[in-house]
Amino acid sequence: MSKLKLNGVSKAYGATLALRRGDLEIAAGEVHVLMGSNGSGKSTLCKIIAGSVRPDGGEILIDGQPVTISGPQSARAQGIGIFYQELSLAGNRSVEENICLAMLPVKARMFIDRAALKARAARYIDLFTGVFGDGFAAETLVGNLRADQRQLVEIMKALASEAPILIFDEPTSALDRAQVDRFFDILRRLKRDGRGIIFISHRMDEITAIGDRVTIIRDGETIKTLNLNETDPAAVIRLMVGGAGDMPASRSSAPAVASFATGAAMTVDKLSGAGFRNVSFEVAKGEILGLGGLHGQGQSAMLRAIFGAGAITSGGIRIGGDHFDARSPRDAIRRGCAYVSGDRGRDGVIVGRPIIENVTPIHYLRDRLMIAHPRSLKEKAMPALAAMHTKFASLLHPINSLSGGNQQKVIIARWLIDRPDVLLLDDPTKGIDLSAKADLFALIRQLAADGLGILLYSSEDAELLGNANRILVFNGGSVTRELTGEDRTRYNLYQAAYEAA
Amino acid sequence: MTPTTTETLSSHAGGLKLWLERYPFLPALIIVVALLALNGAFSPNSLGYRSLTGLLSTYMALIMLAIAQTYVVSAGDIDLSAGATLSLVNVAIVVLMEKWGGGAGAVVGAMLLGVLLGLVCGVINGIVVAALRLQAIVATFATSIFFTGVALYVMPVAGTPAPALFWRTYGGRLLGLPFVFYVLAALALLLFLLSRTRLVTQLLAVGDDQQAAYQTGLPVVLIRIKGYALCGLFSALAAFCLTGDTASGDPLVGGKMTLYSVAAVVLGGSALAGGWTTVVGSLLGALTIGLVNSLVFFMGTPSEWQNFVQGLAILFVLMAGVLAGRRARA
Repeated sequence: MSKLKLNGVSKAYGATLALRRGDLEIAAGEVHVLMGSNGSGKSTLCKIIAGSVRPDGGEILIDGQPVTISGPQSARAQGIGIFYQELSLAGNRSVEENICLAMLPVKARMFIDRAALKARAARYIDLFTGVFGDGFAAETLVGNLRADQRQLVEIMKALASEAPILIFDEPTSALDRAQVDRFFDILRRLKRDGRGIIFISHRMDEITAIGDRVTIIRDGETIKTLNLNETDPAAVIRLMVGGAGDMPASRSSAPAVASFATGAAMTVDKLSGAGFRNVSFEVAKGEILGLGGLHGQGQSAMLRAIFGAGAITSGGIRIGGDHFDARSPRDAIRRGCAYVSGDRGRDGVIVGRPIIENVTPIHYLRDRLMIAHPRSLKEKAMPALAAMHTKFASLLHPINSLSGGNQQKVIIARWLIDRPDVLLLDDPTKGIDLSAKADLFALIRQLAADGLGILLYSSEDAELLGNANRILVFNGGSVTRELTGEDRTRYNLYQAAYEAA
Repeated sequence: MTPTTTETLSSHAGGLKLWLERYPFLPALIIVVALLALNGAFSPNSLGYRSLTGLLSTYMALIMLAIAQTYVVSAGDIDLSAGATLSLVNVAIVVLMEKWGGGAGAVVGAMLLGVLLGLVCGVINGIVVAALRLQAIVATFATSIFFTGVALYVMPVAGTPAPALFWRTYGGRLLGLPFVFYVLAALALLLFLLSRTRLVTQLLAVGDDQQAAYQTGLPVVLIRIKGYALCGLFSALAAFCLTGDTASGDPLVGGKMTLYSVAAVVLGGSALAGGWTTVVGSLLGALTIGLVNSLVFFMGTPSEWQNFVQGLAILFVLMAGVLAGRRARA
């Protein structure tokens, strides 16, 4: 009998379907690998099992019995432990407190039993003796640890649940070889104990080393479950990509390569900073340069750093012929650099203010405008909004009254009044509908044709393949492959992204 | 253990950081000592046994209120109704003690009901903020008006005196020692016990990262409500100290103390964002405010300038504490 079974589980966030139909069956004593590209629904599936996301439909069975998981607490009570990809640690608490946080041992019903807590935490800390590196102790505050050490603490915390079903959502992304080996030894032992383990990783070598079976998820749907020893990585990637995998990107949709012979818009030379290292490239005027690869491999970090919102430790940037080292976004904007983020709430929208105020802040900054007549501002704003086919009732309506797609159009429109030289797009279509996406990319291409240099990072590979002239694939913070011309295929993009870093 | 040896070998700045991590109230302590020295310089008498006892019994209410505030701040919340809760408990116990005759039984009975009232106020805040998910600042501002309204109903005009037994005990001596010292000792014991409870660790974990705490499986809503309940409890204790000090009931007495309590929490070295708090620091922070006020007085500042100088001094102290903390943590 299967330990855990999911039948047709689904989840939608507003209009976006995060998980269409999730089916999964975990047997006792197996490591079951989940594979799928960015945004295919793996993490959503894991969070549904762990109770932190409530499904819209479908059923979950544990040991053959249908169950309702109403929250993380209930999941834990029903024997499910999870390692969260984004970690669930309290930075100002010690390592041992974090490991035991879910079930703090108490005496007299209210006081923490320090001795018991220490002993219990030590059981899990000792599993990793010798591989956690300098500055790690049971009493250290988690906030003072390195990224890999924090990841180890999250692993220990998941193990401390002693749950029969364990989920590990990308537990190894920051770990070094020795730490991974130790972790895999532990997983093998848990397997022998008859636990059911769900494992997500983007490193193919790890998957073949530890996995028994693999379930492939594509576009929120479970495609197939395979035995790993009866298959090979190429076949798995082909399943992830789907039928269209071998076809080159629709070249008809990408702009002609010949039109940007007019020189470099931006040159980046051996740029390093927090989250990326040694990145070099050149964007020609009129070129759309795609940044590909899995989530969080340094693409966003680099774009933000170029825009002056993140730290650069070494390397140089030039826009046109000038040396460019923006110390703040304000500085970057003045010098002709534009940035549009997919995280509108954090980086774009001025919440609750009228549309006109959301279109014009860049104009104010670039023109050093102090006082402006509403009518002349309107004259400037209208063409920019019209270029985006933005739908709105009045310039004075608050921006919140618009849909996500139209909000993003307003954000992009603000850069169109005074044209920048370089446009940095950081996953700009996150959470917006299809028709808005089409408008957006039509405009981006138009801007490229007008001679802007454009950097486009997208978590949706189809957008990159359909619009970028070249694609740099990021892996572990640096560019591991450049795809040009005929090489820009789904298959190549996936393969480069999933190669061991 | 190996980590301990590396710690002692680490640089001076690293050692300071470790000290601050273990005793986050150190900057506040240094500031209190400096202010005491300044007070002594302007008026040697102010460091006498009598004056210090007086200072403690006057500011014990603010100390309690700052500690009350610390527990909600731990979870990343705030309580702008702490002062109003204090007022409500103040007028309620004064009225009850008067009605019941002012004897020992009346005092104890009124105090028990006072504690209960504080807890109820706290739980109301907790439900409004954590369960109904209203913004803590605005929601507790609203409940503060509500609590003040109830206090004004209980006692429309300030001035009803507390029974002599009550304030004579608070301001008097027991076995040769000022009563307020016993209050301080009891408070220290209570804080020590509370610091070992599961609840305080859970509050801090929620304040660190609410989403992470929820995903860990902690009952976040319940924990936050308990934090507010603790805040209500200490607000009631603050009301006892205040009643002992002023010997009367005043339905508006606590209003202006609320923001002082928030200031004391920050002066003590806690992070207003939550997850990193120190009750000892808040105690010292409240003393800092008291000492600044007495310093302004002893310096002979003209009365119309006293607010100005007080504000400036608190700003200065805040800056000194923040700079010291930032340098040590960098």
